[in-house]
Parts: sequence; structure tokens; C-alpha cells
Amino acid sequence: MAVVASRRRRVDPDPSFFALHRAIAPQLWGGAEWAALRTRALERFRALGIPTRRDESWKFTDVVRIVNRPMRPAEPRPLPFAEVRPYLLGGSEAVRLVFLDGRLVPEWSRTEGLPAGAIVESLADTARTRPEALARALEALDDGRAFTALNAAFLDGGAWIEIPEGVALAAPLQLLFLSAAREEAVMAHPRCILRVGRNAALTLLETHAGLGEGAVLANVVLQLALGEGARLDHDRIARAPRGHALLVKLDGSLGAGARYRQTTVVVGGALVRNEHEVRIEGPEAECLLSGVAMPRAGEQVDTLVRLHHCAGGSHSDQHFKSIVEDRGHHAFAGKIIVHRGALKTNAYQKNDNLLLGADAEVDTKPELEIYADDVKCSHGATCGELDASALFYLRARGLDPETARALLVYAFAEEVIARLTEPSARAFAERMLLERLGSDFVSPESELLAEAR
Amino acid sequence: MLLEIENLHASVEGKPILKGVSLAIAPGEVHAIMGPNGSGKSTLAFVLAGREGYEVTEGSIRFGDEDLLAMEPEERARAGLFLAMQYPVEIPGVGNLYFLRQALNAIRKARGLEEISAAEFMRKAREEARRLGIGEDLLKRDLNVGFSGGEKKRNEILQMALLEPRLAVLDETDSGLDIDALRTVAEGVNRMRRPDRAFLVITHYQRLLEYIVPDVVHVMVDGRIRRTGGPELARELEERGYEGFLGRLAA
Repeated sequence: MAVVASRRRRVDPDPSFFALHRAIAPQLWGGAEWAALRTRALERFRALGIPTRRDESWKFTDVVRIVNRPMRPAEPRPLPFAEVRPYLLGGSEAVRLVFLDGRLVPEWSRTEGLPAGAIVESLADTARTRPEALARALEALDDGRAFTALNAAFLDGGAWIEIPEGVALAAPLQLLFLSAAREEAVMAHPRCILRVGRNAALTLLETHAGLGEGAVLANVVLQLALGEGARLDHDRIARAPRGHALLVKLDGSLGAGARYRQTTVVVGGALVRNEHEVRIEGPEAECLLSGVAMPRAGEQVDTLVRLHHCAGGSHSDQHFKSIVEDRGHHAFAGKIIVHRGALKTNAYQKNDNLLLGADAEVDTKPELEIYADDVKCSHGATCGELDASALFYLRARGLDPETARALLVYAFAEEVIARLTEPSARAFAERMLLERLGSDFVSPESELLAEAR
Repeated sequence: MLLEIENLHASVEGKPILKGVSLAIAPGEVHAIMGPNGSGKSTLAFVLAGREGYEVTEGSIRFGDEDLLAMEPEERARAGLFLAMQYPVEIPGVGNLYFLRQALNAIRKARGLEEISAAEFMRKAREEARRLGIGEDLLKRDLNVGFSGGEKKRNEILQMALLEPRLAVLDETDSGLDIDALRTVAEGVNRMRRPDRAFLVITHYQRLLEYIVPDVVHVMVDGRIRRTGGPELARELEERGYEGFLGRLAA
């Protein structure tokens, strides 16, 4: 009965997932133990099922419609380098791993100039060089999430990255994930495991780019671990064409005194969902998360954060924004959990949404759970239109309404974009924003460039 | 005449505020409108600038050869009308200098002039800012964000100086200014007095008019101009207060 079906928190995965697994799993890298690991993950996926909107964390998102259908890994197909080049960020010295349809492409990647002891290698290599460590890392992440299990079930492309103790990588490291649409629905499940050692430092550029319109699922899992005193600046940019679904699960842990700073800019997509589960495990750590999403008609962006303060004296600050055009949808669910004993925690969270149409849709759900004393925590959410008095002020100075509106939207997004730490990532995000605003708009950035000439 | 207001009636949210204002300003003149709080002074300023929500129910306003009420706010600005606002809006994320240049270029374009070069713009902006005691840091900050009340008012005068309007309406520019800031702002206005430019200075107090000496003073009460005279009218108001003045009008 339909009513009964709609009340279920999960539905059975399409049988094609299992048929496909039988067909292709034997061709994936690794011996019997890796095949067994994939099969266990597939069974876990089967048991978990695909979440419906009855599942609290999918309350605002109909993912069944998007993913529960026959899909397969894209057949390898050559892609002209010219299509890749615009997404190469971080400068000529950047260390870079480029994934196309979930598979590492060595010719576009660059691992030269790494300092001694640093490791940047494909997961297939890791399975040979340190199989126990890889198996432990994979099994450590059992988050009860169907898509994490699905990612492990089809484990193939991915990377293992380690920055050793005390090493600061001078150039940024880019992880570029390209997904090209095909005639048929395709999917990819890359996984990256990144460890920043004690007092080590890294700038990470994570870029997701969809190529061509069509049904694509990119189901990405990132596992980050920051050692004591480690620093990670994490710039994330996602651009997804129509039809693309991008699910990214980020699982992170911070040691004592570690500093993690993340900024995310998202444009487009049938669904772009960024899920964060971050644990502050050592005292005096700092975690700053910010992001801006710009969904327009037919697009949805989900931002989910679960931030655990497990140790005292730590600081976290989240500021997520969205600019939602008519019939665009942004869903934000953020939870701060201050665990017992995490005294003197400071944790802040803010979600500001700008609605640019009568049918723009925003769901926001900020939550706090506090089990410790002597903490400072706050959260808040706003939804609103452009400020009428600001619009009038700009027009009263001669700006036409379109420019005035674009300027105010630009300013709203720019507050987040300015936090991207790497200049080329910032410039890329600026261009993405300007494309959204329309071509006539002269950005402050291009003004500044003109002034510099 | 540069500005001719005839029998202007205006309402805000259905409530009549202006109830038949008539006023004419010739090029080169400085007019002052004084009046108690709630008399409709700021409403007149917003009606002139074209703010949404201020509904004109009767009367007309001509600006030069044009029907001001038929124009959008940005068209009025481009035609040479400037409103220095009582409460300038803070706009985070929009740089002060960037905004000034965008505004100047919008107005220059409308006047058939070329866009100003970055170097020329910077020279002019710095020069005016220096005269108004506006530091480099304020120029570089976001528009009015974190500015003190006095800094916001100076910034309005800086905009006026760069945009070179034909008619500048100053809405309570003196409110919240200390005596030094008041003098600086008044000097900024006086420097701009020219035979082809007019000013409409709206104020509650006579104090500003000691520094910006008006040609004509109007007293507005309850949405109407009740008296018009020379600068001495402002002094009379100061001495008797609005209550004394209103009492005499009623008598």
C-alpha cells in the first residue's frame, strides 16, 4: 500500500546494484581479502537500504528518486586535456591527483617535489604497500550511512595521502574529481584518506567538476585526520551541471591544538550534498567551517554538519550561507555536540539564507546538544530577501536595479568566498559567482585588477 | 527654477504625511527646511529621491525640465539629484571605494561622459577625503560598515562631492555630529556652492545654518510649509523654540 511505503525510512536498493557488483567486482584491484571487504560492504548497503524522507537526516531530500536506479561505472573514454585545464588549481607547483569518473588519471596528476616521507599514492598501491593500515581505515568508518557502504562496496579509485610530522607542504595539494555524463546513467565511488601528521601543515584544494548534462552520481568519501598541532586549510569547490548528483561524506578528526579551516562553494546540480562528521578529539583545537551554496531552479544543495567537541578548550565556528533562486532548494542541518568533559568549549553556528524568488526553498535545522558545563555555544539561522533599504541606497546613487541587486548578492557570497585560502581557488569561485550573476556585472575583483594595471 | 514642488501630498502606509507642500528653488540657492520631529521633513526627502513606499497622492514635482515623479530613483540620481541620508545604510561586502566608483561611472555614463580612469578616480577620491578628514582606512572599508555616526555623514558628503549633483538634499546631516565634524561637513557643502547648483538642507536645529547660511528658510509643520523667510527666521525659531513659534502661529 502506498501509505505504508511512504512511511518507511528506507527502501531496498535497486537489484541492479547487486547484479553489477557480481559482474564487475572480480575485475577490481586486490586479492581475496579486498574482494571480501567489498562484499561485506555491499551486504551492509543492502541491509541499510536507500534512505527515504522518513529518515531524519534525509528529511528534506528525495534521494531515492535520484539514485535508486540502474547505474554503472562509466566506460573509460578519452577526454581532451583542454576540458580539464580550467579546473587545475593551485599553480604550477601544486601536487595534484586528478580523478576522471572515479579513476585516477596519472598523466594529469603530479606528485613531483614531495618532501621526504610524504606519501601521495593511489589506493590500489596502498593495498599493496600497507594493506593493514588501509583495511583498518576503511573499517573504522562505519557511519550507518548507505552511501558510505556503497562507496566501499565499489572501492576502486582513490588515494592515500600522508604528510609526515613537522612537514609543511609549500604548494597546495589538489584533489580534482571530474565526472563526465554519458548516454546512460553512471556512477563513481572515489575515496581519499588523508593524514596530516603532528605539527604538519597542508593546503588542500578539493574540486568537483561535472562535465556535460546527464545522470551522474559521484559518491565520494573523504577521511581526514589531523594530528596534534596540525594545520589544514581546505578549500572546496563544486560545480555540477544539470542531472548530476554529488554526495560527499567528510569524516574528520582533530588532535590537540590542531587547526582545521574549511570553505566550500557550491553551484548547480540535481543534488549536491556535503555531509560533515568532525570530531575534535584533543584539547585546544580549532575548527572553522564556512560555505556558500547557490542553487537555482531544479537544483538542491544539502549541507549537513555534525561537529563533536570531545575535548575541552576547543573552538569551532560554522557559517553557512545560501543564495537560492526561484525553485532552488537549500537544506541545512547542523548539529554541535559538546560531549561530557569538554569544558571551556566555544562553539558557534550560523546559517544565513538569501531567497531570490517567491518559490525559493530553504530548510534550516540548527541543533545544539551540550553535556558539559562552562561552555559558550550559540546558533542561529536567518532567511530573507535582499535588503530594500540597501537596494534603495544604491539606486539613489545612480546604480540601476539589476546592478544594485547583483552587487548585493555578490557581497553576500563574497564574505564566504574571501575565506578561500588559495588565490586560484578564490579566483575560480569568483568567476563561478559572476557567471551566476550575469555577464554585465563588473566585479570588485576585476575593478581591482584594472586598478593594478 | 531648478526644483518646483507644487501642492505635494504624500502618504506612507496610507497615512497622509505631506499635506500640500509648495516650494521652488532656483539654481545657486540654498534653502533650509526646519521643523519639529514628525512634521514630514524626511518624508519630503524620500519622496524627492523616489523611495518605494512613499506614495504621492496629489501635486507635482518638476526637476529642471523633467517630471521628477515619473523617474526611477537611479534616473533622478543620474539627472543630478543627490540625497545625503539621515541614516546611511551599511552594506557589508561592498567596498566604499568600489561603490563610489560604480556610482560615479553610472552617473557619468548617463551624462554622456567617459568612465573615469582608476588613477583619476583615486586622485579625486583621496583629495576630497582628505578635505573631509576621512582617513584612507575608511575609504578601503566596506560601505559604512563600522563607521561612526559622524563618519557616515562625512562619507555622504564625500559621495556628494564626487557625484557633483545639481541639487543636493541633506536630510538631517547635522544629527549626531560634534562641533568639529559639523564644521567640516559644512565646509564641504560650502565648497560646492556654485551658481548652477542648489541645496535643500533639512534640519531640526538652527546650529547647522550658522555654518551653511541659507538664502531661504521654510518652516514645516504637520506636512505643510507654514512660514518662509530669510536666515533670521531660523534664529527666531531657535530663540522661541517650536512650541513658542507654533503658539504664535495658532494665535
